[in-house]
Amino acid sequence: MSAIFRRPGQPVAGRRRPMRSRRDIALPYAMVAPLLVFIGALALYPTVLTAYGAFVHNDALDPPNHFTGLGNFQSVFSNPQVRQSLENTGLYVVFGVVLSVGLGTFFALLLQRRFRGRGIVLALMVLPWALPGVVEGVIWSWILDPTFGVLNSTLKSAGVISQYQLWVGTHQVESIFFISLVQVWQITPLAAILVLAALQAIPHELYEAASVDGAKGWTLIRRVTLPLVRPALAIAVVEGLVMSLNIFDQVYVLNAGATTASSLMTETYELAFNNLNFGQGYALSLLATVTTIVLSLLAVRIIYRKVEF
Amino acid sequence: MRRNRFGWVRFIGIVILLLWSLFPVYWALNTSLMTNSEAQSSPPHFFPTHFQFSNYEAIFGIGPSSASTAGGIGRAVVNSSVESLGATVLTLVIAVVGAYAFARLRFRFRGALFYVVLATLTLPVYATLIPIYEILTHLGLVNTYIGIILVYTSGFLPLAMWIMYNMFQALPVSIEEAATIDGASTLQTFRSIVLPLVRPGMAATAIITFLFGWGQFIFPLVLGSTNSTQPLTVALSALAGRHVVPYTMINAAAIVAIAIPAVIVFFMNRWIVDGIVAGSVK
Repeated sequence: MSAIFRRPGQPVAGRRRPMRSRRDIALPYAMVAPLLVFIGALALYPTVLTAYGAFVHNDALDPPNHFTGLGNFQSVFSNPQVRQSLENTGLYVVFGVVLSVGLGTFFALLLQRRFRGRGIVLALMVLPWALPGVVEGVIWSWILDPTFGVLNSTLKSAGVISQYQLWVGTHQVESIFFISLVQVWQITPLAAILVLAALQAIPHELYEAASVDGAKGWTLIRRVTLPLVRPALAIAVVEGLVMSLNIFDQVYVLNAGATTASSLMTETYELAFNNLNFGQGYALSLLATVTTIVLSLLAVRIIYRKVEF
Repeated sequence: MRRNRFGWVRFIGIVILLLWSLFPVYWALNTSLMTNSEAQSSPPHFFPTHFQFSNYEAIFGIGPSSASTAGGIGRAVVNSSVESLGATVLTLVIAVVGAYAFARLRFRFRGALFYVVLATLTLPVYATLIPIYEILTHLGLVNTYIGIILVYTSGFLPLAMWIMYNMFQALPVSIEEAATIDGASTLQTFRSIVLPLVRPGMAATAIITFLFGWGQFIFPLVLGSTNSTQPLTVALSALAGRHVVPYTMINAAAIVAIAIPAVIVFFMNRWIVDGIVAGSVK
């Protein structure tokens, strides 16, 4: 999409300056210094500590700390609760990515053309994205309440269910689906905005040209629209992937400490801050960090193809 | 005819979109205005029969049914505001200045440093959570506003820098070149020519940063053990976790936490959309 225009003979590295005083040379470094200090001290340095801590025995209940090689990973993987949370997180990712990107694309297609009130609809659609995950967990837990919840009473009076259901708590896949739905509620606007922006960047002539060639309806969407919004879809997939791999707030509120629907993040929190076993917490953190980065890169590779128009 | 049918399909789609986006918030608002017995009635009431604000009075410690169940929501609102605003101001200043240098100035290691900053965008919470807890404990910054603001700022900076970088890139260089030819120094050009032009971008960055701060949960949960620094999210989850608190009151607290983001979204959503798009251009 991007092209670099360079006249022959023009130096690559920008404009040429006459003489630069010492102050001028120092200025850029002074401008980026605060940024680098913050990121160095509270992002990069902690990450290094995580990578190191994963290989150190660090258990507040069993001191002292010592190097343990892969010991933390062994105890983490032999822990059935951790294995359950790994499996659960897989489900969170599948539900989260498929539902948020699917629904987001649907919303974007609805909002693609101008109509009266479109601005307001867009503003209202963004609302769930702007709300804290915890708050969403809380208001949805009332909707999903097994005794007084509006979902139960509505579905029962519509004849869909014969008796009130415990949506979250007993059945693994069902619990994860509903907790995931709450997160999907939050992140769908993001996917919708990304896809919508891509849709609106498509030149109108492309549709006209395709129509002249006899394409219509579904063919138009599949052959013109879809290829051109592919990069936006890729970003939406990656965002959904990262969010659902990191799901915590909604699980913390709705699952309330049970292992049925625990996520990798709630399990990490549990290991480090309830069991006070920082070593195992670090091991799980390192795994999750590497997984997040690798999966994001893979998703970009698979879906992102350069588009020219 | 066909056109008409398409209109209907879209109309139904928009109705679904609005129900999906608004119903949960409406339901919380509805419940928060009811008495506990009305909230538990079956079939459910889709409007409160008589509005009453006792739930709000209770969570803020006003009126009869307060003290015992109130979760210090008033204090939590103050904490959330201080922490989110503090982090927003700090993030915005540092990100704008840094992004300008990366976008426009030439210096050694510029590319390498830029990619280091950008790479931290992909770091998940996992990577930093436990070490940050250990570092702040070591520095005695647990249970302080400063500690929380520093942590938020470090987390929000990469995205804020990236949004501002894209905003600066979208400006034509010729304006700055003209200023330089007229004898303005780099700093003068930045302050009086460039900054006014990227005001919309700064608004977008500030709004998104504030909303992120307002929604933070796991870091303040770990970094604050007393309600002196606990934001609304932590106070709300504590309130919901105590099973004696009626749902009407919990929903009132949720509506308090929703109010500010809702106002922001309604009046400033243009900037939010711009910011999200600018933050995703890859």
